[in-house]
Amino acid sequence: MILRSVELENFGRFRGQTVEFRRGMNLVIGPNEAGKSTIAESIPAVLFGTDRLEKFKPWGRNSCSAVLFFEGQGRTIQIKRNLITDEVELVEQDDLYHVLSQFSGKVPLRGRSASCREYRALLESLLGVADENLFRATYFFGHQPKEWSGDELAQKLRTLVSGTAETDYGEILDGMLAEHFKLTRHNPWGRDKQRDREYEEVCQQWAELGEQDKQCETETTGSVPVFVEIDSSANIKEQIEKLSQELETDRLEREKGKRYIERVRRQSVEVSETVVPPVVEKKPVPLEITTSKGTLSAQLAAVGLPQNPPRELLELLSEAAKTRQEFAELQQPFAALNNREQKIPLVPWITLFAIIALLSVISAVAWWQHWQVPMVLFGAGVCSSLLLGWGGWRHIERKKALAECRKKRGHLEQKKIVAQKRQADLSERCEALGLPSSAIDLVRVQKLVTAHRELLELWWSDGDLPALENDSRQNAPVSAEITEKPCASADAEEAGYELRQLEARMVEFEVELQQKESRLQALQSQFKEFSTDHRPQIATPGTALHHRKLALEERITVLRKAVNLLAGAVDEFSRSHLVRLNDEASKLLGKITSGRYPALKLDENMAPSIQVDGRRWMPVESFSRGTVDAIYLSLRVALAKVRDDGRSLPLMLDDPFVHLDQKRLATTLNLIDLASADGQLILFSHNLELGKRAARERWHVVPLDGDAVAASNEEGGEHAGQLHLL
Amino acid sequence: MTRLLDSARIETLSREESVRGVLVRMVLEQAEHADNEEVLQLENALQLLLTRFKSLGDDVL
Repeated sequence: MILRSVELENFGRFRGQTVEFRRGMNLVIGPNEAGKSTIAESIPAVLFGTDRLEKFKPWGRNSCSAVLFFEGQGRTIQIKRNLITDEVELVEQDDLYHVLSQFSGKVPLRGRSASCREYRALLESLLGVADENLFRATYFFGHQPKEWSGDELAQKLRTLVSGTAETDYGEILDGMLAEHFKLTRHNPWGRDKQRDREYEEVCQQWAELGEQDKQCETETTGSVPVFVEIDSSANIKEQIEKLSQELETDRLEREKGKRYIERVRRQSVEVSETVVPPVVEKKPVPLEITTSKGTLSAQLAAVGLPQNPPRELLELLSEAAKTRQEFAELQQPFAALNNREQKIPLVPWITLFAIIALLSVISAVAWWQHWQVPMVLFGAGVCSSLLLGWGGWRHIERKKALAECRKKRGHLEQKKIVAQKRQADLSERCEALGLPSSAIDLVRVQKLVTAHRELLELWWSDGDLPALENDSRQNAPVSAEITEKPCASADAEEAGYELRQLEARMVEFEVELQQKESRLQALQSQFKEFSTDHRPQIATPGTALHHRKLALEERITVLRKAVNLLAGAVDEFSRSHLVRLNDEASKLLGKITSGRYPALKLDENMAPSIQVDGRRWMPVESFSRGTVDAIYLSLRVALAKVRDDGRSLPLMLDDPFVHLDQKRLATTLNLIDLASADGQLILFSHNLELGKRAARERWHVVPLDGDAVAASNEEGGEHAGQLHLL
Repeated sequence: MTRLLDSARIETLSREESVRGVLVRMVLEQAEHADNEEVLQLENALQLLLTRFKSLGDDVL
């Protein structure tokens, strides 16, 4: 597939001009600012769009568009783009002008619509490339440096095989490793693991703050854990305000209710006075007590306590609190032990052996040179022994420290097992009594018990009353008893019933009110704690530290994963692509150098080396600039071949050898000429001397010197450029 | 699968004959056998890498 022509309707300094190209070598020649780079840039701009519209939009005009014509394998592809609206039209036709595929739609550079996807998929199937970066990395040659070392060449190649024109995968890997090393000393890549970094410092500060907070909590009983609820101080204030308003309304309601009940009671008394007073016999008011029992149960359920709380509840809760305390106390020594273990220094065996090896070398040299042999040998022996002795002593100390830590850990583990066993027993007992067994539920119940202690005392004091499930049956005979009384009128009964209902509701209301009041009190005390003493000083940095710690952990995880993925991808790329790339580049290099250098290979860092005399491999630093250019050119063409799967899109060279002197330029042009034999090369240059060479070699020339393009178009012939130059 | 790994951009990159393309293919392959948490980690790592490759424009998601 070759680029047959570029039509620049309104593009940069061009108005309705067409630039035609041929297979093989093409030279676009003109002085600076003649529009060479504009033509070169028009190709990716039409294919993918551009974010530099201002550069290409002609001044004072409201249109900017260009058309590309590709040709090859019995097909033509025409792609037209309006760069202002990003409207694209693509038509693929065969030799008989049958339309094979077609697209029309809006495709901005970073568009994500369905039509963008469709266009890119079509572009990829037709030209083998759908990404601007990859297109530039594959087909664009920019200015080359005056001199480049093997490292620079390797870096450039790493950038190109990465799939971008700007970034080298090695730099990315180094950047991520540097960031990781900066964040933590725990790294799997073996660099300086001794010095604490930001993550370790944050952890240390976090642990210290945790201790302060714990002390603070022991001083102020019933306080909340600072790191959990510290952020909610604003919320607490809001809740207090809301609850206070609710309470005010509820209190008014309660007063209203009381007045209403009083009124109903008076009415009830009046009604009962008008009828014959009932004869009240033995058990006078079991009704009130049973109602209290039922109400109590309802109240307990309403506040979240078990409906039938056992008498062992308090004992169980106290044991649960003790166990929790025990677990919390165990956590601190474990953390301290971990910290201590990490701080036990390693013995620098490598350094020691390196020094001993150095001493051995010095001794050997002294022996060989017969220079103060006994003295040197004695000195080296003493130093080595001292170093080994010191290393051994450090090693033993380390072992001892580790053994001590292990012993302490064993004690702690035993304590932990005992606490866990106690916790399990407690859970079993709770479950047997129908109570929740999880620690969170027990804490919740503990809070409720503290808040509603009176209610529970009342419940337990009524132990001689009938069981809860019998309440309804108890109520029934009492009611029946009342209804059976011959002196009770229907009105009195109704009034009494209503009164009882109202009183029950009032009790429930009172309980709710008390609940709210105790909640308000708790919130107010929490808020007070936040705004007094030294807690706020701990709280704010504590929260910030916590967030920072979490953020660092997340970042470290992502960096580790990314480093491993990229390293794996580089290895995989080397395995799967490097052999083919080396083969293609070797073929081309052999052709360009007439068989003098038949083989080229890239190592895992993309550093090229050349085979000399059929056996030795030499790095590129050993070769002349001309040979290095040939190597680079071979690799670029080979890379394009590997990537475009035989489509052979044009290679575009924008003044790549501007720094070369005449002799080197001539050699390089020979290379380019040879490289263009299998495809299409478009060389953009300001060097007018190249015109003569182009005429001699019968290259296709596109002169850019004002009217020349127009003249070329009018004559229409492929040799118009050459004629103009001649 | 999450949004980044499902995007058209990732699909295009996965067909490239470059380190970037191999990387995307590897991530997609690993994500197929991973649980949700691992997929999220892979996605975050890929996002970081593609950003560093300057290959992550607005069109990714």
